[in-house]
Amino acid sequence: MRVALFVTCLADLMRPGVAFAAIRLLEHGGCTVEVPESQTCCGQPAYNSGDRATAIALARKTLEEFEGFDYVVAPSGSCGGMIRAHYPELFRDDPATLKRIEALAGRTRELTDFLVSVLKLDSVPGNYTGTVTYHDSCSGLRELGVKAQPRALLAKLPGVTLTEMNEAETCCGFGGTFSLKFGEVSTQLADNKCGNACATGADAIVGGDLGCLLNIEGRLRRRGDLKTKVLHIAELLAGRGE
Amino acid sequence: MELRSNEFKARAAANLGDAKLQKGLGLIKVKAVVNRANAVAEFGDFEALREAGKEIRNRALADLDLYLERFEREATARGAVVHWAENASDACRIIVDIARENGVKKVAKSKSMVSEEVGLNEALIEAGIEPVETDLGEYILQINDAEPPSHIVMPVIHKTVEDVADLFHEKHGTPRKTDPAALTREAREILRPQFLSAEMGISGANFIVAETGSTLIVTNEGNGRLCTTLPRLHVAITGIEKVVPTLEDASVLLRLLPRSATGQAITNYVSLHTGPKRLEESDGPQQFHIVLVDNGRSKLLAGEMREMLRCIRCGACMNHCPVYQAVGGHAYGWVYPGPMGNILTPSYVGLENAVALPNAATMCNQCGVVCPVKIPLPDLMRTLREEQMARGLKPWAERMGLALWGWAAQQPALYALGTRIAARVMKWMGGSEKLIHRLPFVSGWTDGRDFPAPAGKTFRELYQRSKR
Amino acid sequence: MSSRDAILGRVRSALARKVSLGDTAAIDAHIAAHPVGLQPQRDWEPEARFRARAEALTSTVEKLGSLQAVPAAVARYLVAHGLPTGGVCWPSLRRLDWIGAGLGMEDRPARGDDLVGVTGCFCAIAETGTLMLLSGADTPAAASLLPETHIAIVETQRIVPFMEDAWALLREEKGSLPRAVNFVSGPSRTADIEQTVTLGAHGPYRVHIILVG
Repeated sequence: MRVALFVTCLADLMRPGVAFAAIRLLEHGGCTVEVPESQTCCGQPAYNSGDRATAIALARKTLEEFEGFDYVVAPSGSCGGMIRAHYPELFRDDPATLKRIEALAGRTRELTDFLVSVLKLDSVPGNYTGTVTYHDSCSGLRELGVKAQPRALLAKLPGVTLTEMNEAETCCGFGGTFSLKFGEVSTQLADNKCGNACATGADAIVGGDLGCLLNIEGRLRRRGDLKTKVLHIAELLAGRGE
Repeated sequence: MELRSNEFKARAAANLGDAKLQKGLGLIKVKAVVNRANAVAEFGDFEALREAGKEIRNRALADLDLYLERFEREATARGAVVHWAENASDACRIIVDIARENGVKKVAKSKSMVSEEVGLNEALIEAGIEPVETDLGEYILQINDAEPPSHIVMPVIHKTVEDVADLFHEKHGTPRKTDPAALTREAREILRPQFLSAEMGISGANFIVAETGSTLIVTNEGNGRLCTTLPRLHVAITGIEKVVPTLEDASVLLRLLPRSATGQAITNYVSLHTGPKRLEESDGPQQFHIVLVDNGRSKLLAGEMREMLRCIRCGACMNHCPVYQAVGGHAYGWVYPGPMGNILTPSYVGLENAVALPNAATMCNQCGVVCPVKIPLPDLMRTLREEQMARGLKPWAERMGLALWGWAAQQPALYALGTRIAARVMKWMGGSEKLIHRLPFVSGWTDGRDFPAPAGKTFRELYQRSKR
Repeated sequence: MSSRDAILGRVRSALARKVSLGDTAAIDAHIAAHPVGLQPQRDWEPEARFRARAEALTSTVEKLGSLQAVPAAVARYLVAHGLPTGGVCWPSLRRLDWIGAGLGMEDRPARGDDLVGVTGCFCAIAETGTLMLLSGADTPAAASLLPETHIAIVETQRIVPFMEDAWALLREEKGSLPRAVNFVSGPSRTADIEQTVTLGAHGPYRVHIILVG
């Protein structure tokens, strides 16, 4: 099975380890992983900022780069949701492209969803040990139905204990450019998230979206917590640092 | 109501530090949200119910003119008088005229968001007519120097019981009491004579039924029933979009509305009013007037915000909105707060007068999944953002930033170079802590959060190297 | 142009209306058919459901074998709760032997200071534990509203499963809607102050339902 990795711009710039972990997991599941080199961003920041023209241009670019594969997998519910749930709307007036875009959208999956629903992994290579709590990112949860999948995968790590936080499904306040435009409100929401996560006593906060994780970690550190780890689920499942 | 939506950002930030407000807002999560979740679970297939509600509202909107005409015909046949108001001042003038013609001095009002929208109380007062708000929450606000509500269903969610205790003690001159039940009784005893002496009752309407020409209100306190039973005139004011075809359609929406609003399977009272008092009856108003208000609704029907007209005003979107939960309703600066307000306010008062609102959301879509009539609220906000972009209503810095980034993201080689540099610079900025405490241009982030520093090399570089 | 015509004109142009004016076929069929929409699954028997839901709404419920037993039951209820043994009742209930039960029930319009109101109901709805009251000369609306205690008599054969069944019954028996249809589901309440539920806002503090059948 030929799978293209949609790296995501945040993993590319901020946490390359997440993308490598995703590759490891996909290969572990028997996929041939390819990484289209010219990929940049799915266009969601433009889309959500009202810059439809740029969003369409980036969607076209993504289409050209990713349409030949069996699946497109992203270690992010946000980027995955953009392609799967929103790309078709961008081309509602362009039937020829819409058909291709719908095919792309249909083949695009969020990483944990792909590992569970398509590859049906029965083991994962990671060996993380510790207590974790899981933050459900909004796009993954509400656009792609990602809820049970990451938990099913965490359950395959014998050393991991999952302790659910209150309001796990509540937004962390990131919201892309929202975090910059409404910094105070965004910080407050991140603070609520940190409070709920820390109250579980977990030694790591885990999620499937780097945007949320950077936001949560940023607030956590500013609160003075330098100890609680903030990890992408791919890093846990694949093992870190390889 | 005074429009202050362009102050959203500053007022929202200030409200984060308001301890009393935060206490009230905190209750939403443990009460309204939990109560709704329980009611939804108890119902069974609530998703099917949401879909049914959406279809009923869509059916009404698809033939809105025909249903309105049918409503008017049926209501008139039963002796009601139907008035049409194009805008806020029309609506106020119509009601003031009815009051004057009938020598009305005092009006008992039950809760109506449309009356807030058109500024009815101010108009009545100006005409020398005394409006008395009788919903407990609205009454509290009225005696507190006509403070605006901060929620469409729970208007004084921003107030603590201590606030109400102080207010009643001061305004009523009674001994201070802090038991909600005692405060409620005090308001009841003060308001009962008002119901009995008011010549006119004003209500809203949650729905109007085309089949029968009836207006329908849902209430818990009973003040709506009193306002529509005791005074000799009853005026119902509502938006033209509130029409539903049949009693059966209303019944389905009645399964959705209270569950979504307060987690009740049904409100204590659901009242349908069809025409004035019949000759043989001993109670009921002698005149029944219905004021149908447009005030921008027909414009919404024509445009991309049409789905917003399905709204049945339950408040679930704000109860579940993390932003509303943090900043409260007053920050939104007009009648309708939360996600619904992010769309309705710019739609009704002008996008330029509520620039922040369509952007004041993280797009988490918690509102969209709880909306009883499946309004895609984030999508509508995004459409308004597109309109802002097209009309140049976005700040210069945001437009430039987006344009630059958007252009670079379409030049893979340049993008790769830019991110290589950024990864290195930011790694250096992060130092040994690997945390950036200050970043230029994004103080919105770094004022309250550190920025975790990147690893120093981009995935792209590392991946190419690993392949070689 | 009148406001009415201006508004309807804008609505029509928003809908890109093609039908000729006066052609209401699109809505007539739906209104005439008034199809029953989505209802919750019914895995209950109406009387038991009504009772359970009414009690969940903090109404109290008792059951009697006949209408003649009502006055005595009302008297028992009022005495047990330390309430006045008189008040106002629907004219439709004037023939019950209130005096024989030691009660002073007057079949006049309710006043603001009445403390007890006794009514019947048109029917009751099992789904939600709701009373359906129609206004009328013999069934005035205020009797169930102004007094602090509302006692309602419900004949068990008048308990219907859903609100839609109540509409069907109304259409069948009355033809058209009365001035006011009031659905009552327990004592009046408010949660405006700190979302604390408080019974007895502007309407009754307590609702006692007497099932007869």
